[in-house]
Amino acid sequence: MVLGPLGPSLAPSVLKNRSLYRWVKPVADWYVNLSGWRRVGYKYDDLIPEERPDVERALSRLTPREAYDRQFRLKRASHCSVLHDILPKDQWTKPEEDVRYLTPHIENVEKEEQERRAWDNMAIERK
Amino acid sequence: MLAARASAARSASRLARNYASVVDTAGVKVAAVDNGEPTSAVTFLVKAGSRFESKPGVAHALKGFAYKSTNKRSFLGTVREAELYGGVLSTSLSREHLALSAEFLRGDESFFVDVLSSFVTSAKYTRHELDEYVAPVCEAESTTALANPATRALDLAHLLAFRAGLGSSPYTSPGAHVSVEDVKAFAKSVFTPGNIAVLGTGISSEKLQTLLAQSLGGLSSASAPTSAPSAYFGGETRVEAHGAPETVFIGFGAAGVPSAELAVLAAHLNPKPSVKWAQGLSPIAVKLPQGTSVQSVLLPYSDASLFGLLVQGPTTAAVKEAGKAAVTALKTAGEIQGEELKKAVAKAKFAAASSVDYRDGLAFALGAKALGSFASLDGTLSNLEKVEASAYSKATASLLKSKPTYVVVGDIKSLPYADELGL
Repeated sequence: MVLGPLGPSLAPSVLKNRSLYRWVKPVADWYVNLSGWRRVGYKYDDLIPEERPDVERALSRLTPREAYDRQFRLKRASHCSVLHDILPKDQWTKPEEDVRYLTPHIENVEKEEQERRAWDNMAIERK
Repeated sequence: MLAARASAARSASRLARNYASVVDTAGVKVAAVDNGEPTSAVTFLVKAGSRFESKPGVAHALKGFAYKSTNKRSFLGTVREAELYGGVLSTSLSREHLALSAEFLRGDESFFVDVLSSFVTSAKYTRHELDEYVAPVCEAESTTALANPATRALDLAHLLAFRAGLGSSPYTSPGAHVSVEDVKAFAKSVFTPGNIAVLGTGISSEKLQTLLAQSLGGLSSASAPTSAPSAYFGGETRVEAHGAPETVFIGFGAAGVPSAELAVLAAHLNPKPSVKWAQGLSPIAVKLPQGTSVQSVLLPYSDASLFGLLVQGPTTAAVKEAGKAAVTALKTAGEIQGEELKKAVAKAKFAAASSVDYRDGLAFALGAKALGSFASLDGTLSNLEKVEASAYSKATASLLKSKPTYVVVGDIKSLPYADELGL
């Protein structure tokens, strides 16, 4: 999981601790805005490298609508890159729109892979 | 001679009568018989055939979803664990029933019953499984099955004969779109207590009931889909096909419970010889040109039956000649009596009795008993014994009076039309 497409993350432990979350959240929001993917219309999950079998499989599980929207965002953002510009402010991704639409699929694919590995390397005990 | 055979058939029917009593467990009908086989088999017979489907192809997709991921175990987990136990999981779909079967060694029943019942109660029906595994398999199965001209002809014959209901095909037609929501809704409506029968062979009834009581808790109680009672229509169609034997199907159907007279008619016309390499005494067999074949097809359903002759041959001329012979035999089939009729009755009885020799036939006979859809074996045999010459010729005449179902698959330009065969 550490070397998977999603990489290591401290987020689960931060989310568990209420007061730590309150401290970290403003910094995280500031960092997200600074990174600027929302200014070219991306969602965070659009940044996950897709050139891997597991992410490709996860991408094939998107609904047709989700896949179409993703293509549109990628195209619009690469156009921004060509123009060396960002989108007008009304087209920026709003924080509430920036949902993890791909991560659950990637996690499912990873879980299936892990299960397959477990079955492949299983040792049978006679009782 | 005939009397001796009749008594043997009666004791066979007594054996069949003893084998199982139907009990309710968790609202589900359970029937089991243990004849000391080295392996056990459990079949979930669900009234979820294509005649009940809400949308074309849903029943086939539901069959494809069998043994995929459930709340208890994943698709891979089911496959690997079943392999470790050395069992075989299989499914089959007819126009009336979906059968989910597991065959396994004695002692492994708790795992396999749990696999079957967890599919029925808690299958997940995920969209990616439909796209990645179920839909491609359904498409391949349909393509393979319908590439066979005999299957194609029978499929079309059902459509012509019964239109809606029994006419709907158990194969997905190319281009039919079935979504996961459709399958989920169909599964929810068919997996209800009154709609399922659980049949065991090689397993004791008590054991099966205990296992089912533990695992079949969460069945939904939605109302099961119903199908309008079948009516017979008939008609003619011609479909182009290449590279396969030229095929003609001449069929007649009847609504209502399948009659014993029809089984006798099918046995009388069946040109399959009882001795290998012999010609057989059927009225059709003597006139068949070299290389052609005629099979008599009798498909009984709960409220209708389709009877017909499937003529196949390498060339259209040969098929035409064989078709003419078949139609002539069909027209004079009602006139037989005496020893001829007794012979046909004996053949029909053997066919009915030997069908429960094997596990599949036995499971379906038990299922028919449990779901109350049609008569059990002993009933069938005694009905066959009671067939009289007058009733037989009346039944045959009324069958032949109805509009024929005539299907041609092959070279449609030169294969005969129905009137050219004398129908």
